[in-house]
Amino acid sequence: MTAVESSAARPEAHTYRPSAFQRILPFAIAAVVPFILGATTSDVSFWWKALITVIVLVAVARLAWKWTPRGELTHREDMRLWRTPSDRSWAAATTFGLLVLPFILASDFTPPMDFPWATWFAVVNLVLIFAMGAAAFNLLVGYSGQISLAHVAFLALGSIVGGIVGVQWSSGNMWLALPASAVAGAVVGAISGLPALRLKHLYLLLATFGFHFVMMLVWREYLQEYFGFVGIRFKGENSPRIASWLHWLPGIDPDQNGEFVITGQFRWYWVIMPITVLSILFMVNVVRTREGRAFAAVRDRDVSASLLGINVARSKLLAFAVSSAVVAMSGTLASFYIGSRGEDSFNVQTVLNYAIIIVVGGFSSIQGAIFGSAFFWFLPEWFKWAREELWLVRDIDFLSDYPSEIDLAIKGFLVVIILMFKPDGLAGMWRDLKAWLGRKLAGSQA
Amino acid sequence: MSDPILSFDDVTVQFGGVRACDSISGRVDRGSLFALIGPNGAGKTTLVNAISGVYKPRPGARVDFHPSGRPAEDLLAYRPFQIARLGVARTFQNLGLFMGENVLTNLLLGRYIHEHTRLIQGGLFTQGAIKRELAARQAIERVVELLDLGEFKRDPVGDLPYGVQKRIEFGRVLAMEPELLMLDEPMAGMSVDEKQDMIRYIYAAQDELDMTVFLIEHDMGVVMSIADHVMVLDFGQKIAEGTPAEMQRDERVIAAYLGTEMSET
Repeated sequence: MTAVESSAARPEAHTYRPSAFQRILPFAIAAVVPFILGATTSDVSFWWKALITVIVLVAVARLAWKWTPRGELTHREDMRLWRTPSDRSWAAATTFGLLVLPFILASDFTPPMDFPWATWFAVVNLVLIFAMGAAAFNLLVGYSGQISLAHVAFLALGSIVGGIVGVQWSSGNMWLALPASAVAGAVVGAISGLPALRLKHLYLLLATFGFHFVMMLVWREYLQEYFGFVGIRFKGENSPRIASWLHWLPGIDPDQNGEFVITGQFRWYWVIMPITVLSILFMVNVVRTREGRAFAAVRDRDVSASLLGINVARSKLLAFAVSSAVVAMSGTLASFYIGSRGEDSFNVQTVLNYAIIIVVGGFSSIQGAIFGSAFFWFLPEWFKWAREELWLVRDIDFLSDYPSEIDLAIKGFLVVIILMFKPDGLAGMWRDLKAWLGRKLAGSQA
Repeated sequence: MSDPILSFDDVTVQFGGVRACDSISGRVDRGSLFALIGPNGAGKTTLVNAISGVYKPRPGARVDFHPSGRPAEDLLAYRPFQIARLGVARTFQNLGLFMGENVLTNLLLGRYIHEHTRLIQGGLFTQGAIKRELAARQAIERVVELLDLGEFKRDPVGDLPYGVQKRIEFGRVLAMEPELLMLDEPMAGMSVDEKQDMIRYIYAAQDELDMTVFLIEHDMGVVMSIADHVMVLDFGQKIAEGTPAEMQRDERVIAAYLGTEMSET
């Protein structure tokens, strides 16, 4: 009888009793770390491994102890990014996956049916870079409601700043070029947001598209003035490297010439992944604090927002500035990662690609940007593999004769399907899946 | 009772050929409950919009706000967000809530003018940002308790019943801790029970939180029982002003509400 009553009553949203699994999970993850370290990195000394293991164990144990709420949630606990035990489990699993993934991809494991394992590392790195840019784009378009097409313009700006700071002023100082492009992106972004003070929706879209073409002109002029038609080379002598005074760090084993150049997918992963994760965390934090709430308020009802004391004009420009700063940074990062940027590196197609990423991933969801860019990069790889290897599919000549057209057609078809049946995109599907799983688990316990 | 918190003089708002407000003057005493009544289209909401900066009245108008302990300000020199920061908050007749966001976010937006976390501090989630975020949550906790909103905290506002939405909007302006609270028909479309609750909340705002209440209301019965001072508008004109008892006897008010042969044509 009491069970019926408690399930019929409104579930206590603010009280948790974590299960044994949820308490054990962080410890289990911590326990795996030494094995990975020991098995994979032979160039790290024993004492480093021991130190890292101890630090990770202590940190995870402390967090697991502190983060397990007992009874009523305090405000501090309620404010957490990963509030519920299920959120925390997913976060732990994602962290674990991000740490283990490069080792798996770098291993010489060959999947059956010639699955293109080796190319996947490059795809994962691209997904990470695109996720960062798409999340910033989504912060502006989805979350702040400022419809903008100037996205690729800021990728180009990132390449210009990367070219000036990282190629012309120094050879390969990406560490200085990244903050420089963030600053340049913020300033130019705020300027490009000025039309938003007077225009909305479709008109704003046209104004920002105009800005795109202005920026393309600047990009071409810059290229021709300083680099000619070959474009900027960000590799070779311009590859970023770790300064010699940091070579004592674990896992950094200088090459023959005494330098540690960031090259190859594995090293790039450890540069790209933290930058992406940190910038996405930054944007998630923006969204859940004061100015981020103001962005959403201005998007929904600007009159109402202004009567709450929000300076609507300032809020809009701020949204443009923070989004553009992160996009410009991702542009710089992409330039150094890809290694060269030419006249045809930025075009209208790229603008559309980001729109596809956001729509498929889920509008106004930063998580959606990550899903969207994974979809965008993984799908063509799967198609390619299916065309070449998959039984029956590989026999259809038509598919291998027009590969890029078929890819585009399938992508377009999927976008239409998602828009029709699941407007909140892959992020929405993920939420539904989690809710369904939660119901299943709750049902099995009762 | 001679200490005004708001005095407005010669406020005229014109839309094309229509004078929504025609040279309206009046004053609101500090700590009182001022009610603005009138039939549909009388210009009540327009007057509130002019005071809160949404509409610009014709030159010559004056709207003086007298915050306690600070010099008086002419509100017409400010933009709406600055007026809100001076301590004048208002609600909307047809709700100014952000329907897709949850109740917590809507209420926290009421604290926007009080906890100043900059974007970068928020993004880095610094100790200062955490401290201010906690302060904001503790401040709205009082509102949540007063208005019984605890069970809805994580629900999107759009999914909640209308009466609750009205309560949330009221809670949001309470969280702003204004000196002058302007409520645009807070009881429209409510059941009798909900109206009585709302009256209780308005009294609480006035007595416990020391706010002056400027109330627009349709329901004569409600106004007569709670207001200290009543102003009656009809067709953009001020037709009467005084205590509720005086208004109930005033012929022009009765004519405006019940209609005369002239106004029926």
